[in-house]
Amino acid sequence: MRSKSFLILLLCLAMPIAYAAIQWTMQPRQSELAFIATQAGAQFEGKFEKFTADIRFDPKDLTSSRFDVTIDMASVNTRDSERDGILKGEDLFAVKQYPTARYVAETFVDKGNGQYSAPGKLTLRNVTKEVPIEFTFTEDSKGTWLKGTASLKRLDFGVGQGDWKDTGTVANEVKVRFALLLNKN
Amino acid sequence: MQLKNDTLRYGVVAQLFHWSIVALIVTQYVLASKADALPIGPAKIATLATHKSVGMTIFGLAVLRLIWRLANPVPGLPSTTPRWQRAAAHLTHWALYALILITPLVGWTMSSARNFPVSWFGLFTLPDFVEPSKELYDFCHELHEFLATALFVVAIVHIAAALKHHFYDRDNVLRRMLPVKLKP
Repeated sequence: MRSKSFLILLLCLAMPIAYAAIQWTMQPRQSELAFIATQAGAQFEGKFEKFTADIRFDPKDLTSSRFDVTIDMASVNTRDSERDGILKGEDLFAVKQYPTARYVAETFVDKGNGQYSAPGKLTLRNVTKEVPIEFTFTEDSKGTWLKGTASLKRLDFGVGQGDWKDTGTVANEVKVRFALLLNKN
Repeated sequence: MQLKNDTLRYGVVAQLFHWSIVALIVTQYVLASKADALPIGPAKIATLATHKSVGMTIFGLAVLRLIWRLANPVPGLPSTTPRWQRAAAHLTHWALYALILITPLVGWTMSSARNFPVSWFGLFTLPDFVEPSKELYDFCHELHEFLATALFVVAIVHIAAALKHHFYDRDNVLRRMLPVKLKP
């Protein structure tokens, strides 16, 4: 009996912490996850059409905030089907072996003026590395927007095997841009 | 030799425009066939990127060349030239001007239509005036190849005529586009 009530007490104490940050629901249609890559000196933008985001965020309670985003790598769209096919292939995203990528952020820094950063971790092609994001959390008539950027090196994750390891033509650095429209549950 | 044209010959500037564009056009055919033979990969992308940079160079030179031509006297044809040959010469020249302007423009559009923006030798990126579209890309691709073939054919006619003037008529038509003395 004693241990049981102790457990309940623990749960009661833990609950407000675990659920303190607001749980948000992403509106997939209005949300965007894009990347900007450089090919032969010129930048082009591509998008991931399918991704899910489990966002728990409260500017007043950063300690219990958490982002967990899963990206369907086969949903890549660079507006050129041939290039999309190459990206999904073995030397780049290898979507057959690694259908999804995942981004998890658990610690957040308030940089002031509505700016935040998080040293989250990206798992891509089974490689997990820190990819910090910078973002803002703002409201407009549509809802709450989580907008931000990141920058990563594709070869850190093995995106580019064989000939594609060459960074002279396709740059190593890739920028990421996201704008998620969130509504409160 | 003078910089500007006169009624007898082309000046240094017009000659430089002419021969540099010739060299760049030859480069374009070489790069295009090299790219066609390569499998999809960084080498192909790099070859095509050079092809695009050279193409935009040709376009820029063509614009300047046209301005220069309009601001200069054009050496006349030999007085013995029959009417049909004068007409053919004018038609060929203007077709060449049109082709060196339009072919790069269609290539640029073709690149934009695939969401492959064009960088000029990695120094700056040209704007995209069209939205990516498979249909537009396919159309521009066909048109670009057609224009390249047309340019090749018209250039052959142009070269044949120049050689005919030089070796058969033994006049100054080819010489006046070369850094050599004219025959009296």
